[in-house]
Amino acid sequence: MLRAKARAGLVALSAIASATPLPATELTPPIASYQITCRLDPESKTIEGMELLTWKNTTSRPAQTLRFHLYLNAFRNTLSTFWNSAGGARDKLPESWGSIEITRMTASDGADLLPGLRYISPDDGNPHDRTVAEVPLLAAVPPGGTISVAMDFHAKLPRVSNRTGYKGDFFFVAQWFPKVGVFEEDGWNCHQFHAMTEFYADFGNYDVSIELPASYRGKVGATGVRVEERDAPGGRVVYRFRQESVHDFAWTADPDYLVLRDVFREPGLPEVELTLLLQPEHKAQEERHFRAVKAAISGYGRVMGPYPYRTLTLVDPPWGARGAGGMEYPTLITCGTYRIAPKTVQSPEGVTIHEYGHQYFYGLLASNEFEEAWLDEGFNTYMTGRILKSAYGLNHPVLPVFGYRFPLGIEVHHPVDENRRYFAGATGDYLAVPSWKFVDRKTYALNVYSKTAIAMATLERLLTTPVMDRALRLYFERWRFRHPTTRDWIAAVNDAAGRDWTWFFDRTFFSSGVVDYAVSELTSEAAKAPKGLFERDGKLVEKAPASLASPRGHDSVVTVVRRGDVPMPVEVLLRFAGGKTYRAPWDGEARWKRYRVRRGPKLLEAVVDPDEKILLDSDRTNNGRLLSPDPRAASRWTARSLFWVQNLLDFATVAW
Amino acid sequence: MTIRPPGAVAAFRRGLSLSLSKPYLAACLWLIQLLVSLVIIVPVGNTLHSLLDHSPAAGRMVADPDYGWWETVTRTHPDLLGNLPEIVTKLLTAEGVRASDLDGLRGIGAVALSLALLAIMLHAFALGGVFGALREPRSSLVTFGREGMRRFPAFLAFTVAALAAALAAYRWIYLETGKVLADRVQDLETEGQAMAVTGLRLLLLLLALAAIKLLADSVRVIWVARPDLPPVSRFFAGVAGALSRPGRLLGVLFFYTLVTGGLYLLWLFLDPSAGGEARFALVPLIATQQVFVFLRLLVKVGYYAGVSEALTRTPPPEYSYVPATS
Repeated sequence: MLRAKARAGLVALSAIASATPLPATELTPPIASYQITCRLDPESKTIEGMELLTWKNTTSRPAQTLRFHLYLNAFRNTLSTFWNSAGGARDKLPESWGSIEITRMTASDGADLLPGLRYISPDDGNPHDRTVAEVPLLAAVPPGGTISVAMDFHAKLPRVSNRTGYKGDFFFVAQWFPKVGVFEEDGWNCHQFHAMTEFYADFGNYDVSIELPASYRGKVGATGVRVEERDAPGGRVVYRFRQESVHDFAWTADPDYLVLRDVFREPGLPEVELTLLLQPEHKAQEERHFRAVKAAISGYGRVMGPYPYRTLTLVDPPWGARGAGGMEYPTLITCGTYRIAPKTVQSPEGVTIHEYGHQYFYGLLASNEFEEAWLDEGFNTYMTGRILKSAYGLNHPVLPVFGYRFPLGIEVHHPVDENRRYFAGATGDYLAVPSWKFVDRKTYALNVYSKTAIAMATLERLLTTPVMDRALRLYFERWRFRHPTTRDWIAAVNDAAGRDWTWFFDRTFFSSGVVDYAVSELTSEAAKAPKGLFERDGKLVEKAPASLASPRGHDSVVTVVRRGDVPMPVEVLLRFAGGKTYRAPWDGEARWKRYRVRRGPKLLEAVVDPDEKILLDSDRTNNGRLLSPDPRAASRWTARSLFWVQNLLDFATVAW
Repeated sequence: MTIRPPGAVAAFRRGLSLSLSKPYLAACLWLIQLLVSLVIIVPVGNTLHSLLDHSPAAGRMVADPDYGWWETVTRTHPDLLGNLPEIVTKLLTAEGVRASDLDGLRGIGAVALSLALLAIMLHAFALGGVFGALREPRSSLVTFGREGMRRFPAFLAFTVAALAAALAAYRWIYLETGKVLADRVQDLETEGQAMAVTGLRLLLLLLALAAIKLLADSVRVIWVARPDLPPVSRFFAGVAGALSRPGRLLGVLFFYTLVTGGLYLLWLFLDPSAGGEARFALVPLIATQQVFVFLRLLVKVGYYAGVSEALTRTPPPEYSYVPATS
């Protein structure tokens, strides 16, 4: 009965939506467009939805079937592929379960497609996984042809987990509707939902109406522009959002939200209306969120190109719903912060800038996050570091003390220090692996995020920043509103640099090897007179000629070794007494290289990669060597250690 | 005439006076701590010199730590510390440290744990010396050593029992409540409420630890003060002493914590280690550090003397050791 009522309401909503067409501001021709009307029941945590999909076949082959993502079925039971790969982390909470069912599916010609629906598992063959459904079409969609499919669906939201769900009255509704896969020349690209994968979809226009209780009035945020707010029977309210040229739609509602607004304005870049849905306990951080997102809009806009949409919504999930935080959807991002967040710690700034950056790496450059996650997460981590550094300077590590986050007086350098986890597992797996095929979550994260970011920063230092920026802009201009791949990025780099840099990617993206250069030997001794037999007047005598007998200066030897298995071009800096320096380039290919300086000034220091261009170097502590020991640092830290130990010994006896 | 026992303030003040009048007690504790610390400092110092002296990083690490250097050293030398940094970090979280975490200790990290256990043993000895010397009008280093050894078996038993009680309190009051409440804490409305729950758990633990400490110290004080009683009576008299004057004892502990905390705040404010050689050269730095440790130990001895004052109404006439008469 309830469902019938809900459906009647949805039909009415649909009629209203279609009766009031709005001027489209399409940035790219749509491929997969959605018109959705849905109704949230906050008590049962369910959504009744009606969806009208309009899909165009842009390939050169006919489409005999349609494939849909049903992401919420990842939370259906412990047999799902997601649950198994996630290790059942939340199996103690009964409210963790979520699901989605399509209850009606008809093509535009009236054909009932539902009887043909079957669940498939293209990635792992798991017969119990229901995150991908395939529907045979009675008539194939020809190349260039379009099909419309109307669906009713019933979704049950889980307790917030992996980006979506509820906590109390809070709802973050993502990956929630039947969503068509990407049809490519070699067939459907429609992966199952894994613990470590995200999304891949075609661009289109979204028109979504959401009906929910009036207690949520004014406390709803979603992808796109809000075009309508009206009352609905039964003490409910309807919000309608539209957005052209995006490839996903998410929305959120929470009666506790503080709804705060601002506008991004900067000469040379378009205005963006900002909405911040903030938790009341984070009210003091309002300005920090806005400042961070403005820095991001400016930073990405200047390097890549302007943000093309009119609005951006920032969502701050409540306590206990952090699983919804730190996520990106078109024109809507979720941040996440702590009650106590000292300004010297770049949180929430870091997550805000990072998630905004996904408007580019994922949003506009819609790479396949299932198969090449580094193209969005890694590239974006690299850019996040750049913008954080320019807007906020150095970061500091945090020591959490019973929930309080104390910044330590230690500097954390972007991007290498923030991504040091890569070095701890550098050889664990290749970077260029589909996300669900990494050996574990940790290896996935350190490769996809950290290694890519450090590799990109290394590339920037080798290319120089202007060339890197040219490559990024070229990549963006060529591929926005499309699906770029790693090869497309390499082509952009090659074109921007004017030479072939494929070798760099072969050694980083397509290698699990480690970079490590070291100075293994440094000596510098006063030059000695040669000994032995020397020609003099046609005879061999045991006395060196006068010109060689009293040599001046020092003979120095430096040996630089490649301890890692990945070669990189490096420089070697020799610093001599009197302030003289010598820089020698080395292609880094051989296992070692020795430098000899005869009768020169005394050599004081040798450093390989002195400008720290090769950030992928896993051990920089061995990159240099001093001739004479400098015990100052070790002595002071030993003294400090003694003091700490004395105090700790006292604490060790404090209570007994 | 009834002599009223001193209040917490007076007891702590008198204790401090006693400590200042017998500075060699603090000096003994300082020396014990210094020598025990050296066991670990020699390998630490040698390792640091070996890693840093020829490194160009040394120049920039005189004043400030280097995050990258630390990460690299702990990664490339996993046997140096093991998981000691993780244990220290976990100790300060709502989850806490479990016994199984100690399995990951290696090298200097493992030695640090052993050293803490050794320090607890020496603590038992030192307390015997402190309490014994405090009760004699004319005492010396010899008294400290003699009294320490005399009380050692009993005090070691008290210390080990108190340690076991403290560990049990940590487990059952802090760790297990954290485990039980983990999901419920996520259901709370705000992070502030979650932090309040953690704070409450922490407060309960601190109260339990304070109770254990005061009970153990009370037993030790009576053990020394009443040599006329049989051991079992002394023990129960000590327990009774703690139970009969909990407020006063807690007050002495409170003032001890307050003064010690003040000393640490002063240290953090002055921060003699900052600025590298620009502020303090190596020798003045070490001297300043040791003066601070000594001052802290003076306050510590003052606390024990204060507890003794709070528990014994009048200075007892009897000596724990009867000198030979000529």
